[in-house]
Amino acid sequence: MTEQETIPITMKYPHWQREFEAALVDGDPNTLRQRVDAAEAALFLRSQALAGSAPDSLEQQAIADAVRTLRGIQREKLGYPALE
Amino acid sequence: MRKKRVLIVDDNFAVRSMVRQVFELEPEFEVSGEAENGVEALHKAATLKPDLIILDLSMPLMTGLDAAPQLMEILPAARIILFTVEEGNEVERLARVGGIHAVVSKQQVASELVSQAHALLAFLSEDDDSEDLRDAS
Repeated sequence: MTEQETIPITMKYPHWQREFEAALVDGDPNTLRQRVDAAEAALFLRSQALAGSAPDSLEQQAIADAVRTLRGIQREKLGYPALE
Repeated sequence: MRKKRVLIVDDNFAVRSMVRQVFELEPEFEVSGEAENGVEALHKAATLKPDLIILDLSMPLMTGLDAAPQLMEILPAARIILFTVEEGNEVERLARVGGIHAVVSKQQVASELVSQAHALLAFLSEDDDSEDLRDAS
């Protein structure tokens, strides 16, 4: 029996990257809303944590980019109304 | 003096939950309800008659910007705080046009909402107390 090796993957933003990537790759319309909500929640909670600590501008920029991407998914795939 | 009623409008459960926690720590506020989109917010506002509405911008069915003017028609004395990840002058401008009284970024600590709420409702308190006295007489 072959022993499976676990390859550790270092995530740059472990507090929200997994949830965000799960939303990006989800092609199932029945689960997409949940994935996007989970990603948005993780991003929000991380933003709140960063707000109370020393600023990490790289991560904050990455969060802003991720939020913009989620907004696109919400509009294009989930039927959210466009913002003016 | 009666507690100020707060309606929380956001499509994300985690956001609603955190905002609720923040206001429940404040003795002068009570969270009277939650809504997941602008349409539900209009229904809840009409029945719950909140003093303060914490409103998300991007939501299904109806955005916060579209809901705000209708909320002000239903409750002209209520105060609305837009709680959003979208920032910038354009959001601020659209918020003002829509009758929103303040904008708080979701990248600020959520307790900033309470500070803004106190500032916005301080003016209401005096009027409110006068009404209470008139009602009692």
